[in-house]
Amino acid sequence: MKLKHSLFTRRQFLNGLFSGWTAALMASLVYPVIKFIFPPYREPEEVILPFADFEGMAPGSVKNFPWGSKPGILKKNADGTFIAFVGVCTHLDCNVTYLPDQKKFFCACHDGWYDEYGTNIGGPPPRPLRRLIVEIAAPDLIIKREDVE
Amino acid sequence: MKNWGKELVAWLDDRFGLSVIAQFLKDKPVPQHKHSVWYYTGSAILVFFVIQVVTGFMLILYYKPTLEEANASVARIMTEVPLGWIIRSVHSWSATFMIAFVFIHLFSIWLTKSYRKPREITWMSGVFLFACSLFFGFTGYLLPWDDLSLAATKVGTDIPRSIPVVGAWVTQLLRGGEDVTGDTLTRFFGIHVCILPIFLFLLLAVHVYLIQKKGMSLPLETEMNGKNVPTIPFWPNFVYREMIVWLVLVGVLFSVAVLLPPSLDKQADLMAGAPEGVKPEWYFLFLFQTLKIVPARILFVNGDTVAVLLMLLAGLLIFFLPVIDNKPTERKGKIITILGYVLVIYALIFSVWSLL
Repeated sequence: MKLKHSLFTRRQFLNGLFSGWTAALMASLVYPVIKFIFPPYREPEEVILPFADFEGMAPGSVKNFPWGSKPGILKKNADGTFIAFVGVCTHLDCNVTYLPDQKKFFCACHDGWYDEYGTNIGGPPPRPLRRLIVEIAAPDLIIKREDVE
Repeated sequence: MKNWGKELVAWLDDRFGLSVIAQFLKDKPVPQHKHSVWYYTGSAILVFFVIQVVTGFMLILYYKPTLEEANASVARIMTEVPLGWIIRSVHSWSATFMIAFVFIHLFSIWLTKSYRKPREITWMSGVFLFACSLFFGFTGYLLPWDDLSLAATKVGTDIPRSIPVVGAWVTQLLRGGEDVTGDTLTRFFGIHVCILPIFLFLLLAVHVYLIQKKGMSLPLETEMNGKNVPTIPFWPNFVYREMIVWLVLVGVLFSVAVLLPPSLDKQADLMAGAPEGVKPEWYFLFLFQTLKIVPARILFVNGDTVAVLLMLLAGLLIFFLPVIDNKPTERKGKIITILGYVLVIYALIFSVWSLL
């Protein structure tokens, strides 16, 4: 049945209404499913480590620390200053290893190379290793994200 | 009383109507020609799949899908559980055999052009089954949770990230977070033993139904001869022949499984550097090698993005092959045949290269 000036029939109107309701109902059911399968993640803004554990490092050596669920790498430079990186390759996320005798970071997955300052110098890595800021406030060693003040 | 068996069958048949299926299988003709050997590859895959299901059910009795216990529980299966080492070995080797036969099956259909009308959807469901099998392999590889499987999974789950727009989302979906953690392990276990089997059974039902509905495909040259091709009945003649093949394959599988059980390294350490010689399973080696040689930048674009998009494109082209090559069956489609060979040669060369 169709009224004189109507654009569609009563059947079309009811079908549209019903499909709309069904779609909205489905969306309201799918939304929590999608929310559920992505767990929350927040990268730490900073980690605080006991400085005493790192003070005695030999110049040119590295030590790992946990940066959230990634490995962080703290390196003592030859001049005694510290420098820190997120220790995952910028290519495809493998954990990198420091080779002290070659003064390079190495990723074994696809032969990626970085120099001692984390600059990508060979293989597939597209970017330098991510740097972290090191602050010494004895007795603490504070390692921060670069974008956090 | 002596006929109670027959009576029971008749009683069940009265309710299920199974004799229709039995009659169908007796009447179903299997053509005999020089390419008939490829007809055996499908059921070979099924045999290995059934072995996967059975050994999978067995392994699940002892396996523990958590960060703390996964590696140790596999070690226990290998050392303490009676015959555990051989069950795991058969599961691991049967996966390899199954995927090898999936490759053979796929290329035999590619080269004999069996995907053409009216078998387009049979091919497409087959490509989905192929993807399912690879995903089975990929998720299963992580479960022993040793150094190598962790590094391979880190790389594998990071690859989608180079896809524009949805990439990071896919990586998070696979990993259950930003990084590969214990959550990833549990998630992969769930996918491996629950989600993939459901999909695979549904796809398999569609695939097998369509094969029955459309009948066995004839290779082009046989079809073009115009003569009547000799056939044998599917049941029992062809099935008996298949059984001989199955026996040989199972014999080879068990021999290899006994002689070359898979290794188990020490428990994965999320904070340790990637070990030397990281490799995925053999069927991903050519993709692995491709990613390894791609330069960091191709014309201002991230090299991996280009490589991954090309791989996706290749997958899509393979899926839509029946739509692309929709010529009438009289024409040979030489380019498609040559492309098939090129793909095989590329995969072989890159796989061998990755091992050097």
